[in-house]
Amino acid sequence: MQGIPDGAGIRSTVWKLLLVYLPPDRGLWPSELAKKRSQYKHFKDDLLVNPSEITRRLDKSTIYESEEWKCESSGFLSRSEITHDEHPLSLGKSSIWNQFFQDSEIMEQIDRDVKRTHPDMHFFSGDSSFATSNQEALKNILIVFAKLNPGIRYVQGMNEILAPLYYVFKSDPDEEFSVSAEADTFFCFVELLSGFRDNFCQQLDNSVVGIRSTITRLSQLLKEHDEELWRHLEVTTKVNPQFYAFRWITLLLTQEFNFADSLHIWDTLLSDPDGPQVGLMFFLFIFSCLILLILWKDAMFLELRNVIIDPL
Amino acid sequence: MAAYRADEDYDYLYKVVLIGDSGVGKSNLLSRFTRNEFSLESKSTIGVEFATRSIRVEDKIVKAQIWDTAGQERYRAITSAYYRGAVGALLVYDVTRHVTFENVERWLKELRGHTDSNIVIMLVGNKADLRHLCAVSTEDAKAFAERENTFFMETSALESMNVENAFTEVLTQIYHVVSRKALDIGGDPAALPKGQTINVGGKDDVSAVKKVGCCNA
Repeated sequence: MQGIPDGAGIRSTVWKLLLVYLPPDRGLWPSELAKKRSQYKHFKDDLLVNPSEITRRLDKSTIYESEEWKCESSGFLSRSEITHDEHPLSLGKSSIWNQFFQDSEIMEQIDRDVKRTHPDMHFFSGDSSFATSNQEALKNILIVFAKLNPGIRYVQGMNEILAPLYYVFKSDPDEEFSVSAEADTFFCFVELLSGFRDNFCQQLDNSVVGIRSTITRLSQLLKEHDEELWRHLEVTTKVNPQFYAFRWITLLLTQEFNFADSLHIWDTLLSDPDGPQVGLMFFLFIFSCLILLILWKDAMFLELRNVIIDPL
Repeated sequence: MAAYRADEDYDYLYKVVLIGDSGVGKSNLLSRFTRNEFSLESKSTIGVEFATRSIRVEDKIVKAQIWDTAGQERYRAITSAYYRGAVGALLVYDVTRHVTFENVERWLKELRGHTDSNIVIMLVGNKADLRHLCAVSTEDAKAFAERENTFFMETSALESMNVENAFTEVLTQIYHVVSRKALDIGGDPAALPKGQTINVGGKDDVSAVKKVGCCNA
């Protein structure tokens, strides 16, 4: 598996094209990018502010329209109306404060997981301002995504899928791209996840699109391609395929290889001619799982546990 | 302190699960006990991982197969197979985050709903090295453990404090439960045909007496 050459920002551009973030017509890039980046800025402005800021803004807009505005100019201090709903102790379900506290649980989870994303890489981890700003970007993306997708919100593991995209875009030698890596990554992440998000959705676990049926399909493919291994796993040792395939599928193989190798694997995963959402990509991916299993077979025969091998 | 031994020669194999909220240190407890390793920022666990270690309990070699999984709610449904056959559990909370202690009750309920009533449970307050940040008092945790009839210990995977003790205690208790159960079943365990397994978990044969007839020899 060779994939895209490292360096010179080729991967950064190719991935954006493959994830249909960049239109094929190069002439359209500047306008498209400007549109998307400004859209992301709006998302951030709307979704990443704290409730007191929102209430302040609400107040401001009502004050401007009300008579109070005039009173202030004649010496009265303005007093903001506290509505029944919008204060920190409000129990109202629609209260922005109530929402804020619900979100804070997710935000803490995101914070914890971002801090432990590739802890071995200076790009992501440590106290350098570079690492901190990268962590901040990952956090922003995940929070914006969680808020825009209330049905899925944040699921552990999304950080692992986000990391390669952000790393590749941020490392683009073209500064125009690297400074906007956060916005670009956000849209590519959404696009990539749109093909895989059912794996993250608990309600779909038992449906035909959920992760259980994905794992079952993998098991069937395995039976077709290597019945000996299949028999060993499922009949002799009775190893539930969930135990080895779950992480591969959920994390798109990012935790199974060193970081550089997983970028090459993603080159292949993303380069399906019909676009990433199409099932073909999915099968490509399933097949790489199969290849892994077959490569790992010898080790698995010895003992089934988390054997770390470098099969590439 | 038990030495690290070759995995192959053991008398009993017990499945033990680690449960508790995300970020309480389950994976580090596992790596500390099985490999004597700790990492301050380890990756979050997705899916299921496991590791083994054998220790001596009384005159027997007990091999612990310890299972670790993600703490987030989403992953619980998918991992119900996780509990199958478990005869021991370490229910971990983070002493510096009270909310992880509050959630212990939910974990306990889920654990009891999925496992045999004889399961040995230890409540574990991890990160006890962070004394100045402690948010859960030892007394509260102890009282909870007494009420719920579980064992209790405060540990620090970072300082390697009580990790060995916690696992050893759980494995020893399991050993006693299993021996008692074996007596209940057959009177004399030696009376069972050689090679027959005793199903402790009720559903699976992961945790079982490997060689029942071993004391015949």
